[in-house]
Amino acid sequence: MRETWVAGAATNRYGKMAETGREAGSRVALEAIRSAGLEPKEIDLTFVANAFGIAEHQAHVGPLVNTALGIPEVPSATIESACSSSSAALHEAYVHVAGGFADAVLVVGFEKLSHLDTLAATSYFAIGADYPYEAHNGATFPGLYALMANAHAQRYGTSEAELGAVAVKNHANGALNPHAHFQKPISPEIYRASPVVASPLRLYDCCPFSDGAAAVVVTARERFPHPAAEPLVVRASVRAGSIGDIQDRSTLTALPATRRAAERAFRTAGIEAGRIGFFEVHDCFTIAELIALEDLGLFPPGAAGRATVDGITAHDGAHPVNPSGGLKAKGHPVSATGVGQVVEIFEQVNQRAGGRQVPRTETALAHNVGATGSSCSVHIFGRR
Amino acid sequence: MADAEGRHSIAEFRHGYEEEGRLRGFRSGCGFVTATWGLRCPRCGAADLAEATLSGRGRVAAFTVQNVPSDEFLNEAPYAYVVVDLEEGGRISGWMPSVRRPEELALGAAVRWLPSYKPGVLFEREPPPAERTGA
Repeated sequence: MRETWVAGAATNRYGKMAETGREAGSRVALEAIRSAGLEPKEIDLTFVANAFGIAEHQAHVGPLVNTALGIPEVPSATIESACSSSSAALHEAYVHVAGGFADAVLVVGFEKLSHLDTLAATSYFAIGADYPYEAHNGATFPGLYALMANAHAQRYGTSEAELGAVAVKNHANGALNPHAHFQKPISPEIYRASPVVASPLRLYDCCPFSDGAAAVVVTARERFPHPAAEPLVVRASVRAGSIGDIQDRSTLTALPATRRAAERAFRTAGIEAGRIGFFEVHDCFTIAELIALEDLGLFPPGAAGRATVDGITAHDGAHPVNPSGGLKAKGHPVSATGVGQVVEIFEQVNQRAGGRQVPRTETALAHNVGATGSSCSVHIFGRR
Repeated sequence: MADAEGRHSIAEFRHGYEEEGRLRGFRSGCGFVTATWGLRCPRCGAADLAEATLSGRGRVAAFTVQNVPSDEFLNEAPYAYVVVDLEEGGRISGWMPSVRRPEELALGAAVRWLPSYKPGVLFEREPPPAERTGA
């Protein structure tokens, strides 16, 4: 397989977009292409992620993005994998470039849901679960992760203070990220005062509904050996799945897809979790970050909460996790999230992360989950 | 595929609990029991997935009380969303409109399926033995 790079990356500020997803996606796509030192005409293939495009009454957006970029002849496809849509698209790009089927692939994810009210947005999100067996029984995504939080607390004693420490840390990081939806730190008191959405998860345990767009350009080193910025070398691009319904799985306190993807990714990259410089993980809810760090093997099961309270996962800690602010504070524009994580890694590697800059950037890991972990992507990046 | 013939559908699962007083499910040769529709066992992949009628009785394995519902449950919140360990093995998800605060339910609590005009698989607490034999 060919050495494959993420050679360019760009994001807008997550939050509320006045323009359509297609406009925002096209803008960040052009920015990502330019940051790689390329022009749109050098793109061979485009993968788009826009899982809830139906909320904008728009599907088949790939040709619209390519047309906006002046490359209407370039083939495109939309990749859907719920909240892991754009990391799934990144994986497809990797496969095409590493396999020699394309030299430069644009991956762009975007979502716009802010014109919906909370009820409508919650209902849209719920269709990413198993509708007849979960949503039609009253489950929402906060509810499904709350079930896991309760099971985790029952088994390991995970406390409100530990969940709250994830929220406080990620908001502190988001406050240092000009692209973040929320750029204000929160105190443990503010966390504890927030209302319960689905017990035990409070409002500040939940990521926001965000609009946003993010893009990366994946290239073959042999074809484009002189990128404009320091590229990320893709050392592993792995996806895995789990049984769709959490009640049918053998565990409620872990995501089997994360464990499967991580095990293969670490083996492929020849590295272990403890030696990764920093992590961007899927913290759609605070409990999800703790479970992710345990499933990735950074901490033993039940130990991630204590480690978070102890500051080990802070951006200046021994194992920085979500220096971007994560989904929790940077925001969660569903189909932008996966590539947005990689944009953060690109910024960190290029020493452009300002006050949230992490010390070790030789290796980084991005972990992106679809729904309650029925899909998972793990990407490990290194340096030239 | 011949081995999939005769297996019930998602529509029949809903019709079962909405109209027939029956919780339809499957039992795999590996012992796995589920209500979730499929053509092969999701745990072991085996084809010997037999139709079964689930008891609807069991104990709460995990739960949450949801204060923010989806649109279909707009007028029901707060309520508990539950995963129930069935007495015959396997798990099923459902909801409990009678539970409005987390303190009102405990892990391990005995519950039973209650046929209802409301959406989804609705559970209620198993009455204490005295009540069960009364009436």
